Amino acid sequence: MTHVRVFFIGGYIAYRALFNWMHPSYYIPTMLGAPLFQILFFAYIGRYTGLKDDAFFVVGNAVQLSAMAGVYGMAMTIGGERWTQTLSPLLATPANRLALFLGRSLPLIANGMVTSVFAFGVGWWLLDFELAAESIPPLAAIVLVSAVACTAFGLLVGAIGLRARDVFFLANLAVFSLLLMCGVNIPLDAFPGWMEAISRALPLTHGIEAAREVAAGAGFADVDHLFWTELGIGVFYGAFAYALFRFFEADGRKRATLETM
Amino acid sequence: MRALRLILTGWRFHVKSLTLSAFFLLTSAIQPILFATMAYFMFRAGSTEQSLLYVALGSGLMGIWSSTLFGSGGAISWQRWQGTLEVSIAAPAPFVLVLIPITLATATIGLYSLTATLLWGKLFFGVPFDLEHPLLFLLSIPATIVGLGMLGLVLAASFVLYRNANAMSNLLEFPVWLVTGLLVPLSLFPGWVEPISWVLAPTWGVRAIRDAALGGGDPVGAILMSLGLAVVYLGIGTVLIGYFERLARERATLSLT
Amino acid sequence: MAVIEASELRRTYRTTTGTIRRRRVEVEAVRGISFEVAEGELFGLLGPNGAGKTTTIKMLITLLVPTSGSARVLGHDVVREAGEVRRRVGYVFGGERGVYERLSALDNLRYFAELYGVPGREQKTRIAELLDLVGLTGREKERVEGYSRGMRQRLHIARGLLHDPPVLFLDEPTIGLDPVGARELRAMIATLAESGKTILLTTHYMFEADSLCDRIAVIAKGKIVAEGTPQQLKGGVAEGWVVEIEVYGIEDVVLDRLRAVPGVRAVAVEERDQAQLVVVQTDSGQELTHALLSRMDGAAVGRVSSREPTLEDAYVALVGES
Repeated sequence: MTHVRVFFIGGYIAYRALFNWMHPSYYIPTMLGAPLFQILFFAYIGRYTGLKDDAFFVVGNAVQLSAMAGVYGMAMTIGGERWTQTLSPLLATPANRLALFLGRSLPLIANGMVTSVFAFGVGWWLLDFELAAESIPPLAAIVLVSAVACTAFGLLVGAIGLRARDVFFLANLAVFSLLLMCGVNIPLDAFPGWMEAISRALPLTHGIEAAREVAAGAGFADVDHLFWTELGIGVFYGAFAYALFRFFEADGRKRATLETM
Repeated sequence: MRALRLILTGWRFHVKSLTLSAFFLLTSAIQPILFATMAYFMFRAGSTEQSLLYVALGSGLMGIWSSTLFGSGGAISWQRWQGTLEVSIAAPAPFVLVLIPITLATATIGLYSLTATLLWGKLFFGVPFDLEHPLLFLLSIPATIVGLGMLGLVLAASFVLYRNANAMSNLLEFPVWLVTGLLVPLSLFPGWVEPISWVLAPTWGVRAIRDAALGGGDPVGAILMSLGLAVVYLGIGTVLIGYFERLARERATLSLT
Repeated sequence: MAVIEASELRRTYRTTTGTIRRRRVEVEAVRGISFEVAEGELFGLLGPNGAGKTTTIKMLITLLVPTSGSARVLGHDVVREAGEVRRRVGYVFGGERGVYERLSALDNLRYFAELYGVPGREQKTRIAELLDLVGLTGREKERVEGYSRGMRQRLHIARGLLHDPPVLFLDEPTIGLDPVGARELRAMIATLAESGKTILLTTHYMFEADSLCDRIAVIAKGKIVAEGTPQQLKGGVAEGWVVEIEVYGIEDVVLDRLRAVPGVRAVAVEERDQAQLVVVQTDSGQELTHALLSRMDGAAVGRVSSREPTLEDAYVALVGES
């Protein structure tokens, strides 16, 4: 079983994680090609169903794509470490855990921003999407805070991954759940009340809402409550993940589960 | 006759092997269910009238495509990784006959996705499962699997030549969902998209399955197109696989070490 | 007619190194190897890791095309008549990979029986016989992922024998097995040889080659450096004498000085716990001990002893010289 798992998971690491992502033969298809078609896919469903206009989908997916890298990246970082058996040596170091893992999130967030810029570009180029120049700075801030919040969420997935058998599966589930729940492609009022309540507690939801308003011409002052809510949610998940991480780390030492496959 | 027997035995073997992988199964059921849920909500909230069975079948085919794309696209690397590639090539059976059962099996596993989306739709969205032409529906499914399985053969060979199969799989998931009309009719796209859709098996698979289920269209024609394309893919795949095998023996890329 | 004939086989690999400035590097894995194996013979290719043993085998079983030279198995050319060769040879390599883990031994054997073209009506009895031969009867319905290394290796052997090939290629079959498992496997190989199969075995274990093979070719750095029966190879160093000197740290210059002593054939260093053992193979006898020690000034010398040579010394000498 180990072998098959190594294969599939090895494949999965490469599947959506950021391994080897700097190589153009990987980066271009995965980090630029796939997002392009994701936006077109949902925008066309939107056109066919008459659900919303193109801008709704361009903004939703552009923000989601920048955030996705954070969730995958963070979860895979921890899962990958465990996989390559480097987690124990890492945890044996006195380095500050928070700094250790937050440090790793920076390239992920930077990469997410690049994908996001590209995604907005695609919307402008291929779909019916316009953006006023003065909207760009507040939009960038919103994308950034969404990416940070999602990276914190990814840290939580990674922390659970310390104990769960399959962090890769978990990361996938998390990303697709965010795609479903956070109003990326479905307006929240289409959900039953209980689903909307969950959406409001997840990262990304408020970020996307703010980004849509800004893209439609609102100023930062009009959406600052959404901005701060998104940041607050991020801080909450980050803190929760950190506590869980420390707990599992201590517990894992006792029960020797850090290196289990 | 021998070839047919080999394909059948191999197909059963690989379907069993994939089915026993909890990871593969979970992925091939849960991802389509999440996408189907998105599609249900989008269609329900939208203003266009469309039957939910249309959405369920389209989402199920999305799952079959994903499973073929990732399973077949990575088939050779996977065999290489497992150490079974060398053993399979060293066997006297032509390598293409070793590979066909594998790609067919990855398409077959996609049936779990179709079943999952139909069940999910029935349980949570009340999607009715009433078939216009039950017999044609039953025929359309194997025809679709064969079409996609043979397309998988072409993917397996060409991805391994590109060398970064995972990247290609990542790239091709959404666009094929889009241009084969699984959820959105082709008439919405610029004219040049349609010829592309004609050479892709999922286009005919979804037409066959959907027309048989919902009525209208030409399910028999779509079934025949799917099978016809399968023959063309088989030809292309055989040539590419022969090329890969020769190249691998020359460049020593059969094993990992 | 020889069953396996290799003539001037060569194989180079092209690899690229460096990420930014990619350079092409050519590695010569096999550099002109010729040998013949007669029918029913158990022939050993003995050499250290990286000597070219696996590359040679892969050319013979059609998995690699030789860069130059030619080879025939049962009269069929391994490049032009690959299909004919594949039908007639069995291939088993050491290690845990190469089987489908999630399925049972029985599933695996049925599948490969089909790949190897075993007729349907023969499959059942053939598989039952093989399971019996390799001692997996009773466990054949369990998933392979639960098998021990030894069981997997025996399953490999069964797979290699499915089509009852007259010629068997065994590439380091005992690698990674525990001593008991390895001994069982060697007994099985001996049984197969007695049943009349022609076997080519690669190994880097001296005693394995010594105990199993009719003839051995020692291969080092892609070339055959000696060939003969185990007795003949031992005979090559039988008249000499071996001096072993324990030292605590030694420099290459000193080793070179030792090599320069007249009558010295080969000098090798083995790492011990806290010291090194300098093994010197000499032509004549003990009188060299003094000459050797006198050239070792500067090195801290421990115990000094001398003895008659073994096959291992023959091997070390051959590999060391190349």
